[in-house]
Amino acid sequence: MSLAARHLEANGIATVIMGCARDIVEHCGVPRFVWSDFPLGNSAGRPFDRESQILTLELALRLLAGAPAARTTVASPLAWTKDPGWKQKYLDAGKLSPDEIAERRKEFDVVKAVAKAKREAS
Amino acid sequence: MSGEPTAVEPRPAIVFAPEHDVPVRYMERTREYYQALGFSPYRWAHFTDAPFTPLARPLSRARVALITTAAPFQPEAGDQGPNAAYNAGAKFYTVYSAPVDRVPDLRISHVGYDRANTVPEDLGAYFPLARLHEAVAAGRIGSLTTRFHGAPTNRSHRVTMETDAPELLRRCREDGADAAVLVPS
Repeated sequence: MSLAARHLEANGIATVIMGCARDIVEHCGVPRFVWSDFPLGNSAGRPFDRESQILTLELALRLLAGAPAARTTVASPLAWTKDPGWKQKYLDAGKLSPDEIAERRKEFDVVKAVAKAKREAS
Repeated sequence: MSGEPTAVEPRPAIVFAPEHDVPVRYMERTREYYQALGFSPYRWAHFTDAPFTPLARPLSRARVALITTAAPFQPEAGDQGPNAAYNAGAKFYTVYSAPVDRVPDLRISHVGYDRANTVPEDLGAYFPLARLHEAVAAGRIGSLTTRFHGAPTNRSHRVTMETDAPELLRRCREDGADAAVLVPS
């Protein structure tokens, strides 16, 4: 998505990304970025929370109109939960037993094979 | 100096946020996870600069395109529900477009969203089409393009840069977009 934003921007279309993975988007380098410190999958605001979705979009629109330069990030003031403990749970490899690792590896190989077949068919 | 003890006002403690309450280091986490599973490390796209195009007209007159990584529901492609496991069978490999004047059935079972912490039951959390329509109605933005666009997320950087991104540009231009809001899921 970051690469697409860069391409559009380089060709005359102003872009803004709404996202949750701050490090990945900033590592790529994009023109404008609204960052929500939410679990991946909630780039546009909290589920079933109209106000949070309105605020997140408004931040994006203000950035579109007023960012002073490329690589401008605005951090949404919203927090997912008061307790930041959720941040530890995403892909926590440290908690996996060797059996779980073998199992996940097997699942991932299946996923890869499915994706490959589908890609080649498309 | 009177020699009398003076009462010292207790000073309130300075309360900082918890030390670990920082942006999740997704690259590090993903690298460690896949290394633990025995895969070679992924290399994320990286540039130290970025292009910049000021918005060509005031927002209230601008035409805005919405771009998503969400996938149209495919009845034959297995579980794409809110609690579905990662479903590679629901992926798509070419840019797609669909009209903005109806609510699309878009799912994200084909990407690695945070399944430990969230359940994607509300389209509005990852696809802000309804909020954008409201912004148009309120006069905040001029209009939306007649279509939104779907961007594949699963190929090489080269395919993204040389095939998918140019195709998105072509469609945005065709629709007369001044600006694009890109929302990864």
